[in-house]
Amino acid sequence: MKKVILTINGRARQVVADQDLVLLDLLREHLHLTGTKQSCDRKGQCGACTVIVNGKAVLSCLTRVAKLDGAEVISVEGLGTPDNPHLIQEAFVLAGAIQCGFCTPGMIMAAKALLDANPDPTDDEIRHALRRNLCRCTGYAKIIDAVRLAGRFLRKEITPDEIRPKATDAKMGVSHPRPSALAKACGTAQFAADIQMPDAAEIAVVRSPHFHAAIQSIDCTAAEAMPGVIGTLTAKDIQGTNRLKYIVEDRPILCEDRVRTLGDAVAVVVAETRVQAEAAAAAVKVDYDPLPEVRTPARGMAPDTPQIHPDRPNLCFQQPVIKGDADAAFASAAAVVDHRFATQINHQAPMEPENSVAFMEGEGEDAELVVMGRSINIHLHMATLQAALGFENIRYEEAFSGGQFGIKLEIFTEGIAAAAALKFRRPVRYVPSLAESMLITSKRHPFEMQIKLGADANGKITAMAMDMTVDNGAYHSIGNVIINRALHMLSSSYYIPNIQVASRLVYTNNPWGSAARGAGPPQAHYALECAIDMLAEKLDMDPLAFRKHNALQPGQTKATGHVIDEWAFEGLCAAIKPEYERAVTDAAGVADGPVKRGIGLGAAAFGIAFPGDKSISAVELGADDCVTVYAAAADPGEGNDSMLTQLAAKVLDLPLDRVRADTRSTDRTAAAGPASGSRVTFMIGGATVDALKQLRQAMDEVGAKSHAAFVAAGRPTRYVGHKSVLNTAPLDPETGQGPSTDSDVHAIQLAEVEVDTGTGEVRVLRVTAAVDAGPVINPNNLEGQMEGGMDMGVGYALRERFEAGKTTDWRTFAFPTMKTAFDMTVITRETPRKRGTLGATGVGEMAMVCTAPAVINAIHNACGVWIDELPATPDKVKAALEAAGKA
Amino acid sequence: MSTDGLPPDAEPMRDRQLRTVAGRSIYFDWEGFFWDPQDWNEAIALALARESGMEGLDDNQWRVIRFMREFYFYHGRAPKNKDLRKGTGMPLMALESLFPQGIRKGARRLAGLPNPKACL
Repeated sequence: MKKVILTINGRARQVVADQDLVLLDLLREHLHLTGTKQSCDRKGQCGACTVIVNGKAVLSCLTRVAKLDGAEVISVEGLGTPDNPHLIQEAFVLAGAIQCGFCTPGMIMAAKALLDANPDPTDDEIRHALRRNLCRCTGYAKIIDAVRLAGRFLRKEITPDEIRPKATDAKMGVSHPRPSALAKACGTAQFAADIQMPDAAEIAVVRSPHFHAAIQSIDCTAAEAMPGVIGTLTAKDIQGTNRLKYIVEDRPILCEDRVRTLGDAVAVVVAETRVQAEAAAAAVKVDYDPLPEVRTPARGMAPDTPQIHPDRPNLCFQQPVIKGDADAAFASAAAVVDHRFATQINHQAPMEPENSVAFMEGEGEDAELVVMGRSINIHLHMATLQAALGFENIRYEEAFSGGQFGIKLEIFTEGIAAAAALKFRRPVRYVPSLAESMLITSKRHPFEMQIKLGADANGKITAMAMDMTVDNGAYHSIGNVIINRALHMLSSSYYIPNIQVASRLVYTNNPWGSAARGAGPPQAHYALECAIDMLAEKLDMDPLAFRKHNALQPGQTKATGHVIDEWAFEGLCAAIKPEYERAVTDAAGVADGPVKRGIGLGAAAFGIAFPGDKSISAVELGADDCVTVYAAAADPGEGNDSMLTQLAAKVLDLPLDRVRADTRSTDRTAAAGPASGSRVTFMIGGATVDALKQLRQAMDEVGAKSHAAFVAAGRPTRYVGHKSVLNTAPLDPETGQGPSTDSDVHAIQLAEVEVDTGTGEVRVLRVTAAVDAGPVINPNNLEGQMEGGMDMGVGYALRERFEAGKTTDWRTFAFPTMKTAFDMTVITRETPRKRGTLGATGVGEMAMVCTAPAVINAIHNACGVWIDELPATPDKVKAALEAAGKA
Repeated sequence: MSTDGLPPDAEPMRDRQLRTVAGRSIYFDWEGFFWDPQDWNEAIALALARESGMEGLDDNQWRVIRFMREFYFYHGRAPKNKDLRKGTGMPLMALESLFPQGIRKGARRLAGLPNPKACL
């Protein structure tokens, strides 16, 4: 132990510290300064814990307190508060650099250290200063903008008041600051691991070291006798179904007689401290009988392979698409391409590791189990937990969420935390390590696709065939939905009159797939958009002209036979054309050498609001004359709080400081459905606008917008709105024909890359996107989604993959960094949608759907090889070059 | 028919089932809940009650069903048990025993409330 005296945020502190205590834990655990975040298991990989020590930005997770005697420490709490923010915090808000906000405090501290030393840094100096800080949401572009803006504020060239939109400014098309942004910038936004519960017990979980094994016995005797242990749980302690059911009841909270993938939960230890819980978990004896591992869909479908789940076959879902006569069309085609593509298992990689807390509130019959996490569908997950635990009185509250990108369509730690709180009647925290978090959460499904495209002599695509096999992993989640989404968007931006598809979903013992930004279409678009370039090449047509030439037209049909009545794709081809022509010229001007320049296109039409979708939302005029939107519209970073409040202010013609959104609790919100499928603006926003229009009509009839006037007039102050899509019927199980989405967001992206033919390294220089999601509500938020999505798409194309047991942190995952960041341009068109929310539709997922094929097409354009298995790592590119004799 | 009103071979991954109840074609989800609560009417509630083995619906049962629907269309969510007790003045055990399949799978389905989920 060592006594140190240091100053933290201007206040002198005496601390007697263990030699191993790091500054991050002193700040978070002992001083409750939770603005400083932990993501990377204290490995110094993420920068979320950055603070300033003696004027320099340091990683507090690697900084030992014992060495800080006399040091001056500043954490994000030492800069400003939401009522009195620091200029750098204001700059991050106004530049639109804050999405989920989990990386923001660390980014701001790194920026402060830089600007204190160098008030006018260049972009390269900004990138260097923030090189250790990771962000998953923004693609780094607006973070660099924010540091530049902060410099201008600090140099007194401009003030925040000069650029901050006023509450009375136009409500649509203006980048009003997100309601939640200042709390995130100042470190006061509470993520689940930040919630203070002074007497909370801690949880450690015993997890399977096998991909597939029978559980012979579980012996917790030794663990229960260890210091600090409150008790243990196994499946027999769960009073309900013990299943976290989304569609199929196959995923247990705690495994009963079998583990089906690496990391399956087997037993839980609850103890006074996390160290005690982990020590006791290591003492739990589980006797496994290993079973044959099914690690590929082909093995899963082999006739001699036993079923992974006793009550359902490994080949668990199939959906054909039969439109027209593909065989006949191929027979008469002037050009045909046929190629196999495969994609990897990938992690959604939100910065915040998985975590949740649970506690009992109230007594007797009213006692309520409160669960806090970052669900994007709190009402569904409340119901899931009710059934799984056999306990009705549950409330789910969404904490602030450090990104999710689909991962929180499912819950992982909540069931365990809730079961422990229920059994021991103690508040509990389950904050697993990043490694455990990455292991236990859902993943992006890997696809194997054989695609065939045919076109006539006029360059019109006449036929498509695809054979698609999807590895479901050990649990179903929404596997069938993933396939259906891929099929609904199969023909994407184009009209293809003849289609024949076979698709299958197969259980294996691999990590299980679920929602992941785009959820199906990114995989299928990789195959489609590369095949489009192959076909254009075969026809000797320009890839952009070929795409435009085949654009779907109103009155024509999608892959499912659904007739569309609006289609905003062709305008985007025109919008991106100048940049495309500039890129062609630039590439042609690059001297030939071992580093080759290439450009590539990828397009996408991304369907939003599937048949049967519906949403509900409530709005209320309160006694303070403010209007509140009550809808469970989770906001893990997209800016749904902006969307709801700006819509409310627009419809009601109120200033933005008279509207707010209440979205986090199952007790207060309408069950608006998941924040997934890019449906929030279209569906939840649409239901909200319906409610707002009712309130607006009442305001007009009352002749006032005050609560008192409504009460005096005897008018209701609360209104509930609905939005339902036009069609409800699912796809025909035999033909895959049927109605499709109510709306589509369109994009085309242009990637410019350099390929080092000596090393196989690919460097993305720039990605330009032209996008049309209808009228823009908040430009910063739309651009932020696009930029972050493109960065994620490039990672998917070039680097990222998840290998169970090997991918354990951000380095092994190959997380995007400032170093891998690239220039981005977003061109926006705003074609109003007939059924849109004030004309608008969503954008969040489409941002990355066409990025990977654009990059892969650019690699081919640069050096003539096709990378047909993602990611296009240097070894794969080099192997392809060598095989083609181009190395 | 199974207890949730769906054919026993209904495939849960086909996420909606079109059924004719009391002369109307209505979509139900894989757990027998209404896909759209606005498809509900009293005749349908009675038909569903008979399907689940009830002879009819008495005043107390109707009181619960009507409260559930009013609550849903005011709050945008189904009432929890504490809301039901407060709203109907009935103890929880009495509420549970009013419907052979309890509140969650019985009363809520008969009241036409949806599962708290929407498709992707």
